[in-house]
Amino acid sequence: MKRMWTIARVELTRFLRDRSNLFFVFVFPLLLVLLIGAQFGGGGGVQVGAVAPDDVPAERLLERIEDAGGIAIVEVEDEERLRDEVSRGVLSAGVVLPDDYGARVEAVEPTEVAFIGRPDSTAASVRAVVSAAVAQQRQAGQAAALAEDQVEGGGDRAALRTLALDLQAQLDGVTVRAETVGTDELGEEFAGLGQFDLGASSQLFLFTFLTSLASSAALIQLREYGVAHRMLASPTPMRQIVGGLTAGRLLVALVQALYIVVATVMLFQVDWGDPLATGVVILLFSLVSAAAGMLIGAAMRNDNQASGVGVGLGIGLAALGGSMVPLELFPDGVRLVSRLTPHAWANEAMAEIVRRDAGLGDVIPQVLALGGFAVVLLVLGTFTLQRTLAR
Amino acid sequence: MTQVLRCEGLRKAFGDLQAVEDISFTIDRGETYGLLGPNGAGKTTSISMVAGLLHPDAGEIVVAGERMHPRATTAKAAVGLVPQEVAIYPDLSARENLRFFGRLYALRQRQLDARVDAILEVIGLSDRGDDRAGEYSGGMKRRLNIGIGLLHEPQLLILDEPTVGVDPQSRNAILESVEALATDGLAVLYTTHYMEEAERLCDRIAIVDKGRVAAEGTRRELVATIGEQDLVRLDVAGDAPQAAVALRQLHDLGSVDVEDHAVVCLLHGAAQRLPTLLGAVAEVGVSVTGVEVREPDLEDVFLHLTGAALRD
Ligand SMILES: Nc1ncnc2c1ncn2[C@@H]1O[C@H](COP(=O)(O)OP(=O)(O)O)[C@@H](O)[C@H]1O
Ligand SMILES: [Mg+2]
Repeated sequence: MKRMWTIARVELTRFLRDRSNLFFVFVFPLLLVLLIGAQFGGGGGVQVGAVAPDDVPAERLLERIEDAGGIAIVEVEDEERLRDEVSRGVLSAGVVLPDDYGARVEAVEPTEVAFIGRPDSTAASVRAVVSAAVAQQRQAGQAAALAEDQVEGGGDRAALRTLALDLQAQLDGVTVRAETVGTDELGEEFAGLGQFDLGASSQLFLFTFLTSLASSAALIQLREYGVAHRMLASPTPMRQIVGGLTAGRLLVALVQALYIVVATVMLFQVDWGDPLATGVVILLFSLVSAAAGMLIGAAMRNDNQASGVGVGLGIGLAALGGSMVPLELFPDGVRLVSRLTPHAWANEAMAEIVRRDAGLGDVIPQVLALGGFAVVLLVLGTFTLQRTLAR
Repeated sequence: MTQVLRCEGLRKAFGDLQAVEDISFTIDRGETYGLLGPNGAGKTTSISMVAGLLHPDAGEIVVAGERMHPRATTAKAAVGLVPQEVAIYPDLSARENLRFFGRLYALRQRQLDARVDAILEVIGLSDRGDDRAGEYSGGMKRRLNIGIGLLHEPQLLILDEPTVGVDPQSRNAILESVEALATDGLAVLYTTHYMEEAERLCDRIAIVDKGRVAAEGTRRELVATIGEQDLVRLDVAGDAPQAAVALRQLHDLGSVDVEDHAVVCLLHGAAQRLPTLLGAVAEVGVSVTGVEVREPDLEDVFLHLTGAALRD
């Protein structure tokens, strides 16, 4: 046990001493969380185009969208132009209000607000904001209509006051989740999410996995440096050596993961949800990452190859697993394939935990899936490593 | 019992390649034993089996009374290995390297601290002990490489060509420290393809070629296998093999071997026979550009035994 710990600690020391890691492990992840957060809101960088009639309800709606934070509304003449600018990335997204928007809102008749966005997380978050704004306005309209009915029906002052209070309470309590406008499930999906929450967990998985794979080159160096043979010549049994190296990879993964948790809490006040549930998901995901790294480190011939394959796989699986574009935006087929990545399960679990305040009991399927990945990869990784070390 | 190592009938193949065919030898306490042979002779493969890194296909290894095999922890604890290539963590300091491997050899904290300091002193790295090993010179790395092998006070120290690629000064320092170790009672197994090192350091030497022990004994015994013969070396301009053919026609030459642009013969009473040799070579139209007559050394023994030069 003691010798395993000795081996694990040296692996961690070497990782922390590697200057080339500094930027990618400690700076880059935070930059990305910051960037995604800035897009998501608060940063003021998002321009949303609007094609809207010149009436009061439409104006109110657009103001409300702007008030949601970080979004600047840009008036656009027609829908065609709007589509063009959104698709070229000049605008982050766009909304189109029908010409009779004001009249319909006032008449409390159903109406449709078209949303135009690219399949990215910014569009998803803007869409959530738009949905919420539309929902609130609709509710206010309904309440006003109700009030009118009351007055026409000869209602007294007291009744009206009660109604007004009700209305106010109702308005304050409005959340996107409580109202459905059209079929915008996506808007609901991202509602109630803090500015940096979306980026933090997805980037945690991306970087924990990526760092584990890329730093697995350290295992190849053990062979290159000849220290692997030296370890094997010592009276330390093979299983303790492999155990120590496994623990070393796990420490590296955990350092990366915990660093992102701590730094995002301190710098961006990110909400990581239930500590137990999040802790279990992060621990399992770190194990998966460590084991995948061992497999790469054991199977590759030289450390350039390992870093190359590691970075490729790390980015590719992260993209497929919803760490770059949210899973909710994937077409069904791709979503199904994404289940082959540990990232998808981890991101899904964190969506439950952070967006819907889920506890450990609510993410059992995801936890089991991650556990499965961990077991399979650990068996493969330790087996392969044992074979290559002795070579 | 003073025998520290006994190897018997070691064999090891890598696929079709028979790297070690049949190697047996023993080493006693305080003895330095040399495996002398050219590159590819099977020295490192033999040593890897002795150190428990490789499982022999056949044969037996006993270190300090314990059978050695890849899972033999007691036997491994008795061996200190200094690999042919420097085997250290370049991203750790000398002190950290020593502490790490000391822990793998299960040294306890108190003992470890004392041993690390002592070894740093021995290998002359006391004042650089906390610098990253990657920044050391080649000679310093080599010394650290040896220091790690000595750290846990093994009964048998294995040094695999420790002076290859080392500058003459460091090389001398290494040879001196090996000499000192043996006088302390350590058994040393030393491989080299440098004849002078084997002659200087080793009490007994095995000449290894193609995975077999071609001859074994003290330097004196090995040279004696040639008999009380002198060595004559004729540098020739022209067809050396043709000169060798002519010389082989003469009687009582111990052996005639061709080396690049020279012919090397072993014979009794070289001084008297020299004119005959020169005459024979001149007769086939090969001119002699230099003549050397001397006592044979291990290099010549090797040439005599295997018909090939020790160095490529
Ligand atoms: N791991 C290995 N796999 C295949 N062949 C090997 C391996 N190790 C050594 N050999 C071969 O075995 C022979 C003996 O090698 P080695 O023991 O390293 O010789 P030496 O140390 O005397 O130079 C060489 O031909 C070498 O190429
Ligand atoms: Mg060798």
